[in-house]
Amino acid sequence: MFDSLLIAFSYLFSDAVNLLYLTLGVVVGILFGIIPGLGGATAIALLLPLTFGMAPEQAIILMGGIMGAVTAGGAVTAILLNTPGTAPNAATCFDGFPLTQQGKAGMAIGAAATSHVIGGIFGLFTLTLVLPVAKTIVLWFGPPAFFMLALLGLTSLTVSSGNMLRGLIAACVGLFIGFVGYDEIGGTERYTGGIDYMWDGLNIVPVLIGLFAIAEMMVLFVKGGAISEAGSQAQVRFTDTLEGVKAAIKNIKTLLSGSVIGTVIGSIPGVGGVVAAFLSYSFAVQTSKDKELFGKGDIRGVIAPEAANCSKDGGSLIPTLAFGVPGSAEMALFLGVLILHGLNPGPMLLIEREYTIFVLILALLAAMILSAVFICIAAYYLVRIAYIDSSILIPSVIAISLVGAYAVHNSIGDAFAAAFFGLLGYLMVRYDYPRITLVIALVLCSLMEKNYTQSMIMFGGDWTGFFKDNTSLVLFSCSAIALSIPLIQLLYKKGKAH
Amino acid sequence: MRFTTLLIALLVLISGCSSDTDGSFPQNNISMVIPYGPGGGFDTTVRVFAPYFANHLGDGITVLPENIPGTGGRRGTATVYRAKPDGYTLGIFNLPGLVLPSVLGEKVDYELRELSWIGRVESQDYVVLVQAASNIHSIQDLQAQEKITFVSIGYGTTVLSAIQIMAEQLGLMSKDPIFLTGYEGTTDQLVALVRGDGNVTVSPISTAVQYVQSGNLRPLAVTGQNRNRNFPDVPTFAELGYPGLTPLNVQRSIAGPPGMDPALLTQLREAFTRVMADPGFLEAAAKAQMDVAPLDGDRAAAEIDANFSYYEKFKANLSNPNQQ
Repeated sequence: MFDSLLIAFSYLFSDAVNLLYLTLGVVVGILFGIIPGLGGATAIALLLPLTFGMAPEQAIILMGGIMGAVTAGGAVTAILLNTPGTAPNAATCFDGFPLTQQGKAGMAIGAAATSHVIGGIFGLFTLTLVLPVAKTIVLWFGPPAFFMLALLGLTSLTVSSGNMLRGLIAACVGLFIGFVGYDEIGGTERYTGGIDYMWDGLNIVPVLIGLFAIAEMMVLFVKGGAISEAGSQAQVRFTDTLEGVKAAIKNIKTLLSGSVIGTVIGSIPGVGGVVAAFLSYSFAVQTSKDKELFGKGDIRGVIAPEAANCSKDGGSLIPTLAFGVPGSAEMALFLGVLILHGLNPGPMLLIEREYTIFVLILALLAAMILSAVFICIAAYYLVRIAYIDSSILIPSVIAISLVGAYAVHNSIGDAFAAAFFGLLGYLMVRYDYPRITLVIALVLCSLMEKNYTQSMIMFGGDWTGFFKDNTSLVLFSCSAIALSIPLIQLLYKKGKAH
Repeated sequence: MRFTTLLIALLVLISGCSSDTDGSFPQNNISMVIPYGPGGGFDTTVRVFAPYFANHLGDGITVLPENIPGTGGRRGTATVYRAKPDGYTLGIFNLPGLVLPSVLGEKVDYELRELSWIGRVESQDYVVLVQAASNIHSIQDLQAQEKITFVSIGYGTTVLSAIQIMAEQLGLMSKDPIFLTGYEGTTDQLVALVRGDGNVTVSPISTAVQYVQSGNLRPLAVTGQNRNRNFPDVPTFAELGYPGLTPLNVQRSIAGPPGMDPALLTQLREAFTRVMADPGFLEAAAKAQMDVAPLDGDRAAAEIDANFSYYEKFKANLSNPNQQ
């Protein structure tokens, strides 16, 4: 194993062409991360034809560059525009955007970049450690465990919402939207209204673009002026970014717990980065002593989700490499790239091409560091976005958003969906309903429902089966604990008061 | 990628306006619709096939893969069906995946038999699999099992239909088997079998090969006329006395919109035939683990009718096993 690592290392760094591919991947990854709706999957698909003439390892380096960089770019948009550049950056908006409004965007970007690097290293290190036993881990998660995982996600969602009633309403709307579409197991169409577009259910990307990007522009339109309220001087000093780096290191506990959550959730196929980042955020809120600071520009609210975002890449490679089961949309495309180059992802790849896998791990690592440095430097210029007058910013962002929504599936329906959710998002901001709660419920809905149905088919209708599956039992206990934490804290406080 | 497709489409439009046509085909780039998302089997096939097809059609022409996923492949198929039959919009199609909705009585916006078929690229037979640690070593053992749980992709898919037809032909329906459906794709379904969510599944052979090589799964029998080169020791269903299962397979064929000019269709078919004999293409296809099984346009078209009559025959067995 160590030999393969060394060969991979010298392969990556001894050839200028390879470093060029890496840099190209990183630049494209950051750009596609920044523009809402494009994301890593689109970037990989775009550069795929370029790889035809390359050696498989070179293609892997290029793709690794994209995958390692894309969420770093997405974080910038989340912080500056309150719009997740890629879906997993959604949770970063919570505290990142308030920081921008306070004129601390440079600090937020610095913290995000640092979390990105440390989280990424953690995820990849874990990946390297568990690769030999990766198969076992993947096999822990059957339908009952997936159901309990979704339940855990929904539980922590309600617990961490500021206003529980509004949080619950938003979650219910999210669940309702999640039911729309063709039910693969039952074989029926639900709430499609006979419209073909609705058959596949609502795609998460146009929903996010609508709820965040477009809604935010409507808010800005009503308010007027520019995004940042902290004066008009478009000054970011290098010290701001440095302060963010320091803040990330100071909150190392938040950073590490975010990395652990990201790696674990990332390794479960079909759950994905949105859930990882969100769980990490809500964990940070729940375990902090001063919860009320979150959502108003707490730097920990940027660190937690961004650490999870980057560490999940290492995690999601576990099922991808061990079984050829993609952990995310980018991974699905990356599998396509491997297949085109004659590498069949799955159990045999681990045995036959260890060194190729190390090339990927090293490329990802280099890309994560490189992209963090890039966004810190670019922050100097990008932060000016927050000071652009709304008359220029609004039409540009809306145009980019709608094109981005359309581009996901070449579907005009997605553009309409983005517009609809833009309106809904605006109303939610106006009447103070949490948008992210809706998104998470929407993401978890199909996971939860499908795996519940599958579990019940497996158990022959006997629900006690959920408690006979070890993983499922552990996850259920976590949900129970998450629900009882506020109660315990309350009792503790009462006890202290007496 | 769609972004670039758009850009390129725009460029093509602009260049199309300025160039004077001397009537010969092709003048512009050709779009090849993949009715599924990027990264899957159909996507790979087109990405390998497209550059060679472009070369054999003319100099300076590009065949652009265009993913139009949605409604289980029906959206992309309908897009090609409605396109102008000028040869600039072609597509790759799934058999029996696109036949099944019609057989199952669902509304579709295309008529496969009307498309202008250019040729079949691939055909894959199915293999029946159990866990390598299981005590089921043959189809006979399987038939002797008391409890059978099939793991499968969702209702309306080719894999579930194959499982249902097999269950009926092998006389397994009397055991009241469980159909654990809803897995995302064939790989998910194989991992579910390795995990033990159920005890048997059916999969296109190429996806299953490495799970057998890695010692996780055991093949019991294959469909098709001949034994598979990957599993020379595994019998065909015909050998075991179930010839009714021989025609079960998945095919990937290329076609254009209905009503294509016969001269144009001939030109496309000839280019297709040359690709299928091109050693460069065959090498790239082998590397991407494609199962190249070429058929010319007429015979590819005949497969549509064969598929319809085969699946119509089993229509009664293909209802949703988990209907609520």
